[in-house]
Amino acid sequence: MLRFLSARLLATIPVVFGVTVAVFSMLYLIPGDPVKMMLSEFQSTPEQIAHMRAQLHLDDPPWVQYGRFVWNGLHGDLGMSIRDDRPVTQEIEEVFPSTVVLAVAALAISATLGVTLGIIAALRQNTWADVTTMMLATLGISMPSFWLALMLIFIFSLYFGLLPAAGGGEPGQIGDILAHLIMPAVALGVGAAAIIARLTRSSMLDVLRLEYMNTARAKGLNGATVVLRHGLQNALIPIITIFGLQFGALLAGTVFIETVFGRPGLGRLVVNAILNKDFPLVQGGVLVFAIGYVFVNLLVDLVYAVVDPRIRYG
Amino acid sequence: MRIARGVWWGACTLLLVAVLAGAGLVTAATMGGTLTIGLDQEPPTLDPEASPSASTFQIIPDVTESLLYQGVDGKIVPWLATGYTVSPDGKSFTFTLRNDVKFTDGTPFNADAVKWNFDRIVNPNYKAGGSLGTVVGYVGTTVVNDTTVRIDFKDANAPFLAYVAGGNDAMVSPKATQAQPNDVNLKPVGTGQFIISEYVAKDHVTLVKNPAYNRRAPWSDHQGPPYVDRVIWKFIPEASTRVTTVQSGETQMISTLQVPAATLASLRADKTMRVDSVPYPGAPEIWMLNVKLAPTNDLKVRQAINYGVSREAFVESLFKGLGTAACAPLTLHTLNDPALCQAYPYDPKKAAQILDEDGWTMGPNNIRMKGGKPLTLIINSINYGNGNAPEAELLQGQLLSLGIDAQLKNQARPPWYEDNYHCATNGPILFLRSVDPDGLYFLFHSSNIGGNFNWACYSNSDIDKMLVDGRTTSDPAKRRAIYDKIEHMLVDQAVSVPLVDQLSVWVVRANVTGTKYNYSAYPIMTDVQIGK
Repeated sequence: MLRFLSARLLATIPVVFGVTVAVFSMLYLIPGDPVKMMLSEFQSTPEQIAHMRAQLHLDDPPWVQYGRFVWNGLHGDLGMSIRDDRPVTQEIEEVFPSTVVLAVAALAISATLGVTLGIIAALRQNTWADVTTMMLATLGISMPSFWLALMLIFIFSLYFGLLPAAGGGEPGQIGDILAHLIMPAVALGVGAAAIIARLTRSSMLDVLRLEYMNTARAKGLNGATVVLRHGLQNALIPIITIFGLQFGALLAGTVFIETVFGRPGLGRLVVNAILNKDFPLVQGGVLVFAIGYVFVNLLVDLVYAVVDPRIRYG
Repeated sequence: MRIARGVWWGACTLLLVAVLAGAGLVTAATMGGTLTIGLDQEPPTLDPEASPSASTFQIIPDVTESLLYQGVDGKIVPWLATGYTVSPDGKSFTFTLRNDVKFTDGTPFNADAVKWNFDRIVNPNYKAGGSLGTVVGYVGTTVVNDTTVRIDFKDANAPFLAYVAGGNDAMVSPKATQAQPNDVNLKPVGTGQFIISEYVAKDHVTLVKNPAYNRRAPWSDHQGPPYVDRVIWKFIPEASTRVTTVQSGETQMISTLQVPAATLASLRADKTMRVDSVPYPGAPEIWMLNVKLAPTNDLKVRQAINYGVSREAFVESLFKGLGTAACAPLTLHTLNDPALCQAYPYDPKKAAQILDEDGWTMGPNNIRMKGGKPLTLIINSINYGNGNAPEAELLQGQLLSLGIDAQLKNQARPPWYEDNYHCATNGPILFLRSVDPDGLYFLFHSSNIGGNFNWACYSNSDIDKMLVDGRTTSDPAKRRAIYDKIEHMLVDQAVSVPLVDQLSVWVVRANVTGTKYNYSAYPIMTDVQIGK
């Protein structure tokens, strides 16, 4: 297990290295003078443009700039936001927890809802329960998350006045934060839940047909133990895979949800930075997203090893 | 009889007590409380001297104060200054300051603080925003004594008083600002009626009332702190969500930027709401025509476009309740000359005639041709993240009906700026807020070609001279005459297509009273009361 863990961790290093090269290179791949673009909103003098070029060390050779980018990054310095004139690290730190909370909540909703519906559909194959749950799954996949978000706001905020429509809640007030989290997490998680439900259903159907399931039932084990311990646990590998992939989709979806609900978040931060050509902030945000995704998939691989001993000793 | 009289007096006393108690209850209900306002975007900074963005100045007028104040009526009155004098040559401005003001961190407000603020704006290590344009030709500030300060310019600077009153030159605490380098962008320390107590990035900023405020602001109905305890500005970019929050009561007031005109109409009809509309000063929503690039380098084409574009259609379809038809490069609120509106009445037949006479005859696909070339132009359209602006598409449609193939170059702000600097398209659609007709200098002086904001790439030495005269003439009547003449010349030359004089529109719940606005059309919350 330790060997497996070490091997996976070591394999992450070249991936992270590749991400930093890609993120660093984007400054050079954009046409035009990046400094003039960044300062376009301000009435900048040639001295100010030269000052910014020196501040960003843009006259140094690319490999020196890359080395500085990585070295500073390892020390928590991702430069200064051009538009907001504040450290990129600080800006990301302010909004990152909100995105993590939203993504985790959405993943929890999608996992719970998706797995539950998938199991029901598999156990009740070809019945009304199966048809209904799969119809809901199709609806969930087809519905754009931002449309669902607007519908939830209309129903629960405006019509029933139950939940707040905008913001992330007052920091430190758990109740307020949860109230502001429910609708965004549901809007974001429903699409992933639908995909997980369909995959759980097909994975469970494969497992339920296997002979050891008959053995388990013949042993007199109760239904829940048979389905969950003997069935689901062996159906989990493809489902866990989809969790990892869906996390990436959830991160992308946070942009729409954060905008519709006016929530602070990394998605909105990065999109606004792109529109404002705030390159340091774009680089920092994309780097955090990419590394986050790499480590979530590392976690998924480790969970494989926990769930399936064959992978551990393979 | 005695008993009856006693009963009568008792009843009156009881009635009087009930009325007083009721009045007291009503008065108590309108004091205190929290006003939550939905804003369309988070400002890039709350430092008034650093910001290039109007969104900063929606929030900051309650926190920072300026030497002078300009109300909706346009009058400039003393605020942190008690008075001012201008030297005969118009180059020096001497302000006498109040001696009873402290910043909310306890630092005294005095001449040194004023000098520090103005020197900060021109410091090359400081990234000033719109404030830099207010101190063109700044020589320095002299502290005459603790309550007297003189600001000197290289040349006469007549618009300076309006700029000082405009918010860009609001005073921040030198001590706190130097102690909080980056946090000045989040929690600048001013002398105002409110203090910023909390800033949650991308979510909201909370202002609490300054209980030590003991003055009467120039617009206010009372002396002392504001009536409400707190104001929370929530950043809600999605227009439909923002509208929902004011309908549900989650917010009590919203900015209507990007709210469709049709939605605004339904909010107007809602008896639980009130709509405040205040005209913006400066330039209207305007299409600047690049006079250096074909075909807009042709005066006839520019005049035909002006005859052929219906401003009324813009107002009826997209800007109903959000604006009025524009006639000139300055809004009618900034310089009111109805004669400017007679220059180009909507007349598509006349437009067609001018183009025909100019050799642009209707060709195949209903696009005009001249010498085998189609009449094609490119409009530089800014993309805020929602695709084409609807007004750009409406303009494109109107031009197509004239036989002009207008293509929209839709792009984000920085490349949009780059194209404007390089005169690369036939002109952008933009608006410019300016508290003084001097805004025309930025739009049309030849020195601003390649910079901010002469994006018509227009160079006219007579106009240049008059723009300088406008800056250096102190007499208000003479200044008005100069700018009026400039406007007539610009309209005759059809350097632009003015579209809509925009209104600052806010939807407010009916139980919220006392909202006021300054000349820049930004709201002020000092007198707001929230009723039951």
